[in-house]
Amino acid sequence: MRKKIGKITLAAAFGYLFTFLIAVTVLIPILWLLVSSFKTDVGVIKFPPRFFPEEWTLHQYLYVGDSIPIFEMTKNTVIFAGGVTVISLLFDSMAGYAFARMRFKGSKVLFSIILLTMMVPFQIIMTPLYIEVYKLHLLDSYLGLILPRATSAFGIYMMSSFFQGLPKSLEESGRIDGMSEFRIFWSIMMPLCKPALVSLGIFHFMNNWNDLLYPLMLTSSQNKRTLSAGLAVLVGNKVIKYGPTLAATMISLTPLLILYIFCQKYFIEGVAASGVKE
Amino acid sequence: MEKPKEPSFSAVLCTLREKIMTNSKKKKKYVAQNQKSAYLFILPSMIILSVFVFIPLIASFVISITDMNIFMKDVSFVGLKNFTRLFSDNRVSNATFNSLYFTLLEVPLQVGLALLLTVCLAKNNRYCKMLRSVYYLPFVCSMTAIGIVWSMLLDPNMGLVAYWLKQAGFETAAFLKDPKFAMPTVIAVTAWKGFGYTLTLLAAAVLNIPQSLYEAAQMDGAGSFQKFIHITIPGIWATISFCIVTTTIGAMQMFDQAYVMTQGGPLNKTETVVQYIYDRGFQTAPYDLGYASAISVYLFVIVAVMTFVLRRFVLKGGEDADA
Repeated sequence: MRKKIGKITLAAAFGYLFTFLIAVTVLIPILWLLVSSFKTDVGVIKFPPRFFPEEWTLHQYLYVGDSIPIFEMTKNTVIFAGGVTVISLLFDSMAGYAFARMRFKGSKVLFSIILLTMMVPFQIIMTPLYIEVYKLHLLDSYLGLILPRATSAFGIYMMSSFFQGLPKSLEESGRIDGMSEFRIFWSIMMPLCKPALVSLGIFHFMNNWNDLLYPLMLTSSQNKRTLSAGLAVLVGNKVIKYGPTLAATMISLTPLLILYIFCQKYFIEGVAASGVKE
Repeated sequence: MEKPKEPSFSAVLCTLREKIMTNSKKKKKYVAQNQKSAYLFILPSMIILSVFVFIPLIASFVISITDMNIFMKDVSFVGLKNFTRLFSDNRVSNATFNSLYFTLLEVPLQVGLALLLTVCLAKNNRYCKMLRSVYYLPFVCSMTAIGIVWSMLLDPNMGLVAYWLKQAGFETAAFLKDPKFAMPTVIAVTAWKGFGYTLTLLAAAVLNIPQSLYEAAQMDGAGSFQKFIHITIPGIWATISFCIVTTTIGAMQMFDQAYVMTQGGPLNKTETVVQYIYDRGFQTAPYDLGYASAISVYLFVIVAVMTFVLRRFVLKGGEDADA
């Protein structure tokens, strides 16, 4: 009996050690990025390398704009990710509402087709998408980035599942009051879907904020690039010094990290879906 | 007025997962007063999906049998020429090999590590919750940022982690700059970024297993290992296979990691299929869109076959585990 207790504690101790070490492995690179962005130019490339800066400085943040168009890139990313999020939340929930609460001809077929598009991988539509956006004269523009993403099969599916769970007496009371279908949707149904909208919104926002191939392909000029695409190109060309790169990378992560700290629950719920999207 | 109960997000995910894995369907609908407004509600989404998903999907197959380049002049049909060319292109076979190599190592590493950690962390105490959110952090970050950070940390000349490993007595290679070690390094970084996500899904599934099953097993004198094999694994098999299938699909489409960390090098050792498509169509003259499309179709077929085989295989494995 005593031996058994000893064994369990040993296993538990090993478990704690193992999980703790993995957590350290996860945190070190992120913390390193944070503190290294406060290093001097010399401190960044110093050998032997140190984890913490010997001299803390704001230099990299103050002058990052000189070597990387960080302001434009941040603005582009906010407009792209924010625009996609807002517009697709509206369109996703409108379509989801119709599929969940209204009966119309062809609804089953259309809904199945929408579900099928979730299985279409991006690179199969990549080339034709590029040609379309080019033909519409929307390459290298915000509209060209936002429009193809302005709705998503996954979002429609998710919202329709939520609407299905709401009691039907709600819209009937609206109809008795003589409200239009859109008013019923907008002022009765939408407010009830706030948790779903937040989760889906964070899901869209994060995916588009971090996306690389899509904005890389649809933008060509440096000052229309998003943070992730612009940084990838600049670093790939090896024209940027390490110091500003670190500061810019930190800037690109900060909004999502802050959002993650405060809205963790929605993040995990919303993002757990990304596997489905692929 | 009392607030009606909404289904939880995870419940929705579960039904979606079932839908995708089993293709079951069941629906209940309420009558709309007027059909016209229903069509208006779905109109924006249907237009966008048609223009930016359905049409490109069909167009992709059409473009793959043309010799279209990015300037889109003098386009003519060339039949299956792009496909015959593809099968004699060394870079295609190299990229296919790299994608498969990446997938076959990355998926077991990510899912295996997540499973191992699930054993330790599938409890709802404060320590486990906190660690699970820490593990999730890299998943929130963009692959660009992660790639930049790890390239610097593993730089053979000034990288901190490379230096530590050397100090610890490891005969370190040049990691991303060494043809032999580049791909394993990319694999490790990818697993590092993704395991927290897999863990979140698996832990949620484990926490859903009824506690009574474990109690019954306890009565029968089952040890922790037996409980794990006979209760936990069958209980979360659907989630495990879901993770395997989706991670595999994602891994076969790997692009970001290699683009940021190695640009496909050294010696094309990390060039994946998607990267080669991008390179052919958008990066290197003559921007051969027809050929790029043909490679997309080729990759699409590979991924579809893999998904089909894997779904049969892992779902069957689950039935065996249940028995």
